[in-house]
Amino acid sequence: MRLIHRSPRAANAARTASPSAELFVASLVICMILSSFGYAVDPIWFGETGLELAVVDLGGEFSVLAMRHWHLLELLLAGGMMAAGIVILGIVAGAVFQPLATADSGAVEKVPIKL
Amino acid sequence: MELELFSGAFFSALLAIILIDLVLAGDNALIIGLVARNLPKESQNKVIFWGTFGAIAIRALMTVLVVYILAVPGFMLVGGLALVWIARKLLTPHDKEEESHLVKAPAASFAAAVRTIVIADAVMGIDNVLAIGGASHGSILLILLGLAISVPIIVWGSQLVIKLVDRYPSVILIGGAVLCWTAYGMIVREPMLVAWFEAHPAAKLVLAGLAFSIALAPWYAERLSEQMKPLTVLLPAILLWMLGFEVASSVWKVQVDYLMATTQGEYLLEGVRWIGWLPFAALFLWIRERMMLRNARVARSTQ
Repeated sequence: MRLIHRSPRAANAARTASPSAELFVASLVICMILSSFGYAVDPIWFGETGLELAVVDLGGEFSVLAMRHWHLLELLLAGGMMAAGIVILGIVAGAVFQPLATADSGAVEKVPIKL
Repeated sequence: MELELFSGAFFSALLAIILIDLVLAGDNALIIGLVARNLPKESQNKVIFWGTFGAIAIRALMTVLVVYILAVPGFMLVGGLALVWIARKLLTPHDKEEESHLVKAPAASFAAAVRTIVIADAVMGIDNVLAIGGASHGSILLILLGLAISVPIIVWGSQLVIKLVDRYPSVILIGGAVLCWTAYGMIVREPMLVAWFEAHPAAKLVLAGLAFSIALAPWYAERLSEQMKPLTVLLPAILLWMLGFEVASSVWKVQVDYLMATTQGEYLLEGVRWIGWLPFAALFLWIRERMMLRNARVARSTQ
């Protein structure tokens, strides 16, 4: 019997983990898969298609192709950054789109427009 | 491969080992309590001491053995596949507290109690030792550190670990992801497959997707609606199909790359590779639907 199974919350981690923690782990997994993507893509292909600028950045250390050399600590940081980015994007998108949403026809704040 | 001391890779491997130790720790205290509960009071203290000592000794011996076993060609692959399954089991929700099947009944004598504790720890620690062997990249220092971290958990740390994972269940999810990442690393480092992976770089991406889709299935299945649940089977199956074509291209020396295909047969093969799984997926969904309807009918008729 595993130690973690003594805690009902831990034994059901797939159900009990908080949404923010799940977003972080999902981002971490995406980063891990992206790092294996670095092996699947030959940088020469990008050169042939004239897209070398897309993969060469500050020393080539921040591109997806360079991620294949990343260790767990770097992947954890990248996962955290990605999760934070998604949260910020969600907040910004909410702030932009919420005022654009139409109010209920019967809502109090509905402005009557008379032509 | 010896990792450079105090490098990023070293600390990353150490972090992976700590996480693995946390999530795969066995409940030795419970086993000792169950085994020794019917023994006289004076024997109980001796059982606790010698049982813990034996558990630590067997853990150290297994760790040394795993280092040598993983160096044998083929075992890295087997260990990696086993770790994928262990990660899946780790994330599978447990609705009720399971009974320890390692201890059938309280021990009648001191020797029997110590033997049961040691055997139970050996059984519970196999996955832990295997994962540490894979995460340490063969570094003896990291293996010793892994042992130094797991021993206090065996002896004193159980309550601390329970409190930690109870407060932050997401540690289990991170542990599952790290276990799967370790498994992927072990499979691609397998000496028999290194050259093949060099020749088929896309297979690494497919393998990573396959490993994560199998190991994390219990987690993402919880977030899927009932209609989307077949994805937990279909996604790994499709990735396995893709990987199968890469393997087949090596075994039968056929060209499965669309850009390099020259004959009609090779183009046909490429077509089968990308859309050939569709009839099987449709068949699977149809059979699943039929089974669900049948089960619902049976349930209705028994009411």
